[in-house]
Amino acid sequence: MELLAVTIGIVIKSLIFIIGMFLLAAYLTLVERKFAGHVQQRPGPLHVGFHGLLQPIADALKVLTKEDIVPNFVDKKLFYLASLMAFVPAIMILAVIPFGEPIKLFGLEIKPYISDVNVALILALAFGSISIYGVIFAGWASNSKYPMIGGLRKAAVLIGYEVALGFALVGPIMLAGSFSLREIVEAQQGFFGAFIWYQPLAFVVYLFSVLAETGRTPFDVQEAEAELVAGYNTEYSGMKFGLFPLAEWYIATFVLSALAVILFFGGWNGPHIFGALSPYIWFLTKLFLVFMFLLWVHWTLPRYRVDQITEIAWKVMLPLTFLNIFITAGIVILKG
Amino acid sequence: MPWIKKEKAEKLKEIFPSINIQFYKDNVFIEVSKSILKDFLKFLRDSEDFSFEMFIDMTCVDYPLHRPRFQGVYILYSPVYKERIGIKVWAEDDTLPTVTDLWKGAKWAEREAYDMFGIKFEGHKNLVRMFMWESYPYFPLRKDFPKEGIKDTYLPSLNEPEGSIPSHDYDPYHTAIPTLQDLEETQKARMPEKKAQIVLNWGPLHPGTHGTIWFLFDLEGEVIKNCDIILGQLHRGIEKLSEDITYTQVIPYTDRMDYISAICSNVAYVNAVEKLLGVEVPEKAKWIRTMLCELQRINSHLLWLGTFALDLGALTIFLYTFREREKIMDIIEGIAGIRLNSTYMRIGGVRMDLPEGALDVIRHFIKDFPSRIKEYEDILTKNRVWLRRNVGLGIIKEEDVYQYGITGVVARGSGVPYDIRMLDPTDAYDKVDFEVPLGTVGDCYDRYLVRMEEMRQSLGIVKQCVEKLEELKEDKYLATENPYVLPTLEETFNSIEAMVKDFNLRIYGEQAPEGEIYSSGENPRGELGFYIVSKGEGRPYRLRIRSGAFYNLQIFPELIKGRTVADAVVLLGSLDPVVGETDR
Repeated sequence: MELLAVTIGIVIKSLIFIIGMFLLAAYLTLVERKFAGHVQQRPGPLHVGFHGLLQPIADALKVLTKEDIVPNFVDKKLFYLASLMAFVPAIMILAVIPFGEPIKLFGLEIKPYISDVNVALILALAFGSISIYGVIFAGWASNSKYPMIGGLRKAAVLIGYEVALGFALVGPIMLAGSFSLREIVEAQQGFFGAFIWYQPLAFVVYLFSVLAETGRTPFDVQEAEAELVAGYNTEYSGMKFGLFPLAEWYIATFVLSALAVILFFGGWNGPHIFGALSPYIWFLTKLFLVFMFLLWVHWTLPRYRVDQITEIAWKVMLPLTFLNIFITAGIVILKG
Repeated sequence: MPWIKKEKAEKLKEIFPSINIQFYKDNVFIEVSKSILKDFLKFLRDSEDFSFEMFIDMTCVDYPLHRPRFQGVYILYSPVYKERIGIKVWAEDDTLPTVTDLWKGAKWAEREAYDMFGIKFEGHKNLVRMFMWESYPYFPLRKDFPKEGIKDTYLPSLNEPEGSIPSHDYDPYHTAIPTLQDLEETQKARMPEKKAQIVLNWGPLHPGTHGTIWFLFDLEGEVIKNCDIILGQLHRGIEKLSEDITYTQVIPYTDRMDYISAICSNVAYVNAVEKLLGVEVPEKAKWIRTMLCELQRINSHLLWLGTFALDLGALTIFLYTFREREKIMDIIEGIAGIRLNSTYMRIGGVRMDLPEGALDVIRHFIKDFPSRIKEYEDILTKNRVWLRRNVGLGIIKEEDVYQYGITGVVARGSGVPYDIRMLDPTDAYDKVDFEVPLGTVGDCYDRYLVRMEEMRQSLGIVKQCVEKLEELKEDKYLATENPYVLPTLEETFNSIEAMVKDFNLRIYGEQAPEGEIYSSGENPRGELGFYIVSKGEGRPYRLRIRSGAFYNLQIFPELIKGRTVADAVVLLGSLDPVVGETDR
């Protein structure tokens, strides 16, 4: 009986998370478009709803009702699988991300996360790695030259930055002494307890990796529109096409920003000035600041060439993370 | 540009006694026989007294009644003595020796001559069509090819069953169109063998090609091993069309060549015709032309900067530059009435006087613009990503500039001070102060810096023009007293003489004296030259357009070998071709 209750609880919570994430991702598009608009000195979406508030819904309807064309020459199974492979792992990372401490509501203890496993960080990395397959499959299954090049480019970039990302996270893990995201947050108490002060190198590497993983400028080589039309999703249309940017640009960016907040900015820790809601408000504020920072970079910089990106990954980022690990390890040993 | 001096040209006669020197206005054309053409050109190029190292143009003229029928025309430039020379040669047996071993830049020009006239060039490595597709049976610029084309392709109406009486006046015979097979053949002819793994068709419709250029990349991984360019998707035969219309009617066609800098093309053409007709332009019109040319140059460079940054992924710059470009567009619209293809120039002046307040708007723009350039430079010039993408890419050496006949910003980026505004000042360019920025290395970054500096210089010129125009407020803007110049609308409606003149000029055209002339202007994309052959009629017998972008683009396949597709975007952007001008 207890097992059933737990299962139902988790299913309900997962549904809330997934639906919430869908809605959030839709509105993140609006955030990005508004942000980009104001960076570029134009208003952005303005006419659908108040200041474009209904624009994401209109967009979603548009994408959903578009004709879904599957070209004759594609490998159909992989072609369908690829868009799921890109989307599902990105949203799966949400399963291990805590948004705050458990709260009591109507006598029930509600945990604002789906599960708190002790290897949460490793799981998050693993899910992130799976999404590479989505890109490679999309490029390969399209059986066309531009998607192929785009897919290979993205794969090259992702492999380089997955390694750097993995090693960058070793620093905060060592400081916290745990893989559990909740424990990592709990290890960062107070303003100067946040790991950003102790792990600036790791944070820089992490930021670069996020930009590369989510395919944002200066690392958006996989869909450099001037070179490759639309990169690996050139042959896609309708919602199958819509899933790629949704997964990459919004859900992955959101989730990785959340991880950044947890690992470097002390998660939901902050002065209790908003009462019971204060952990959530702090968490979301920090999250959106990181997200906005990524957008800011995206809408300002030109893009690197793919070989330059991988060069940075292997020749600069990876040695930096090693240096970081050694320094952190030394400090941890000295401090005991 | 000063042409070769008479005395100096006479000296050539001592070395090559068989040549025949022709002078017309300031142009000097030397007629040589086909047998000594190669030796003569080689002498001109290598001799230290002449050193005509730079290849400017090669074209042909068709004289159907003359034997031999075709005449080849070469135009060369001496960077040492800063003078020009023209060489004419009759193509006996419809063949000419190739000069591609002397100047690599002759490759495309000779292909174009073959494509349009059917002249064979002996020794040309890959003499295939330039604009038309392979297996196209005709040579369009020959005089016996009708302007409307030869209707020999059966294309029945798709919505009417065969055999039925057509419901409307539908002619099932059309001019030839390329089939898929033709296109495949064309592709094979351009790139006879595949060296690497895949051939990527980059274009004709691709966001990175800035128009309809069709690139063939032979790729090994992402590295380009071999490259060729198929032009002609936008070929409208402007040269052919202008043989049937009066000189004034050609002006709108020049708009539609380089549509981004329409006024500069207008001015280059109008200057050539004025030189041919001997029309003196009023002072005020000269200043207006210079001012608008420079505004258009800023406009064109802004568009270039925006799209170039867009190609490199910096989306925001694109909108920033369009913000300023819009202001210039508004100014041009206010003055000329039309934003893009304004056709504002007339033979003998400009179409309308400056409207009231135009100078105030321009003055405001002058005040505002320097801070905007600084904004672009803050974002890009020292940006590491920008440097990594631009520095060291597509280095064009000085010899290449001469070999390929590269002009404009691309030449100046390589440190060659080739600027028609300085060398052969038309309009008011001899009365304004400006500097010609030069690059040192000749890579994409240098071309970027040169264009940015050129915008500042242009702004300085505009400023001087505005000051001068303030003084000339009451002056004439159109030399209507000249018999070749169309009267203004007001005059036409108020005086019978003007109306008769207007009627005559519009129907019969400007009866230009017999002769031929080559004159060019500094377009934002390079030297835009017009070679006009007049037979004493109201329309040009032959109008050759020497397009800067066409020659600049020619070096692209050479430079891109061994680089990646991502570099191709940058390189193409920095060469800045406009397909309307390359294809004409």
